[in-house]
Amino acid sequence: MSNNRLVILHGNAHPKLSKEIASCLNTEVGNALVSKFANSETQVIINESVRDVDLYIVQPTCNPSVNDYLMELLVMVDGAKRASAHRITAVVPFFGYARQSKKDKSRAPITCKLVANMMEAAGIDRVITMDLHSSQIQGFFNIPVENVYTEPLFVKYIKKKKKTEFLNQEFVIVSPGVGGVKRAKAISDKLESELAIIHRANKEMSLSLSSSFSFDIEETVLVGDVTGKIAIIIDDIADTCKTLKLASKALIKKGAIKVYALVTHGVFSNNAIDIINDSSITELVITDSIPNEHNKEKCPKLKIISIASVLSETMRRCHHGESVTSISK
Amino acid sequence: MGDRIKILTGNAHRELASEISDDLNLALGKAHVGKFSNGETSVMISESIRDMDVYIIQPTCNPNVNDNLMELLIMADAIRRASAHRITAVIPCFGYARQDKKDKSRAPITGKLVANLIETAGIDRVITMDLHASQIQGFFNIPVDNLYAEPQIIKYIRKYIPGEKVIVSPDAGGVKRAKSISDKLDADLAIIHKERKKANEVSGMILVGDVKDKVALIVDDMADTCGTLVSACEMLISKGATKVYALVTHGVLSGDAIQKLNESSLTELVITNTIPHAEKAAKCPKIKTINIAHTLSEAIRRTHHGESISSLFSDTK
Repeated sequence: MSNNRLVILHGNAHPKLSKEIASCLNTEVGNALVSKFANSETQVIINESVRDVDLYIVQPTCNPSVNDYLMELLVMVDGAKRASAHRITAVVPFFGYARQSKKDKSRAPITCKLVANMMEAAGIDRVITMDLHSSQIQGFFNIPVENVYTEPLFVKYIKKKKKTEFLNQEFVIVSPGVGGVKRAKAISDKLESELAIIHRANKEMSLSLSSSFSFDIEETVLVGDVTGKIAIIIDDIADTCKTLKLASKALIKKGAIKVYALVTHGVFSNNAIDIINDSSITELVITDSIPNEHNKEKCPKLKIISIASVLSETMRRCHHGESVTSISK
Repeated sequence: MGDRIKILTGNAHRELASEISDDLNLALGKAHVGKFSNGETSVMISESIRDMDVYIIQPTCNPNVNDNLMELLIMADAIRRASAHRITAVIPCFGYARQDKKDKSRAPITGKLVANLIETAGIDRVITMDLHASQIQGFFNIPVDNLYAEPQIIKYIRKYIPGEKVIVSPDAGGVKRAKSISDKLDADLAIIHKERKKANEVSGMILVGDVKDKVALIVDDMADTCGTLVSACEMLISKGATKVYALVTHGVLSGDAIQKLNESSLTELVITNTIPHAEKAAKCPKIKTINIAHTLSEAIRRTHHGESISSLFSDTK
């Protein structure tokens, strides 16, 4: 048993998740006030002793205020560090800037690496995050990063669906992009189902297939067979949801009888909710890595899976120095 | 100017950046700084800056301190990865500067955290103005040039404010600044200090010095919510000052500052343009602006050529 007491604090991004995690661990969230001064500077007041504690700060760096939430996390860490916390773990279920992880154009920043450096500069000892956009991001850090997967939750969800709704209907796991095939394949393997891939036709391909120079920029290509099956799209982020809509349209066109989507992070920027409502998707399942209760009212298709138990179990094992990998089995 | 210098700006204060680059006879560098639809900051540098001496103009000020800071850091990251020779952050108003000490138990020192973030992003040096406390230079491991608005303020006083004057510091912390100005103007000095009952409640102001039948000039580094400023003004009037002016470097003016100023006895609030404030000035005729673009452009020119910066401030008599 560790001598350092476990304490949970949170910023303003997702207080509900913190309370659920604390409840899973049979404890309560610690006392801290995180707000803004009149001049928009972030202010943090920690109202209980954190001396020598094993501290977990729960704060997704998500929309609508990515930079504010990031700054809250950093300032809380600075305050806790100076108050002699034994170890500080940032629990960041959604890692903002994760898609800015490579120099895709000349003179581009790699903002995700900058954010990793900022977190270490603030004094974070380790990070717990969920379904990082790319696993290489762990290498941006010099400190331990636990990348927890939603895959077991999704597999469990689909198995339950299989018993209650899909019944004897065949289903196929679909990746909506070439980047996510690995994730989709892992799930299709677990469920012993087929795999399909949707990717965008590139300009050269369209050009060669057509006698004219015009082509549909939104043309999608399906690899695999979905005829007469339920198609289940697996992805890590639902942002503008245009890709999701196009994918579901293509799947229906190719003979899928229904389309479900299981996505880890529901970012939903701009008019994403309208796009989902207009799409052929039967159900969009997301986790609560980002707060989305307000969107459920606008979109009946939206279902939310709780990640509190997975995160709390990860935290419990980190606290006790146990293996984290075996959670996934 | 040589062709190996480049001025870039974020969104915090484009007007100031334009004035600075005009002063230096340079075109502002091409950089797009905005936001993705999911709230993340996006940066694109649209021209080569390889081996350049790059200056990023970006006060980290309200109304979006964290966004402005993040723009600065991400621009620095992009510029460093694009093989710039040296990166200087020009931060006329340094956000989080007042969070510079552990004033209560378990408090962060966010000013130090921000200094660490600036170095982490790859910035090689910093040019700033009237830091809230000079010690903040010690938070950095890189050179920090702290410029002063004092010469401009003194020039303004001599030109626009007649009569017998007394320079007033509105608190104990700013006495050094006030004394420096009163010495140069051969004026009297007065101090207001206060016992602070609660965190945000100011009461029990005490005036040390004589302001009777004089024009009182309050000098400070920052005008934020302006509660202290207005209270000081009322006290000075009650103690016999004929008029009260305030001369402040950073016009933060958050909350209901404008309303307070309009309703106060203050004759004028003179601020520099370290922070953009055109909208607020439009609502408050008392606000006058001193332009510090030339001070910054001269500091940049000297930094680029390796010349002395302190001599900028040595002959203000």
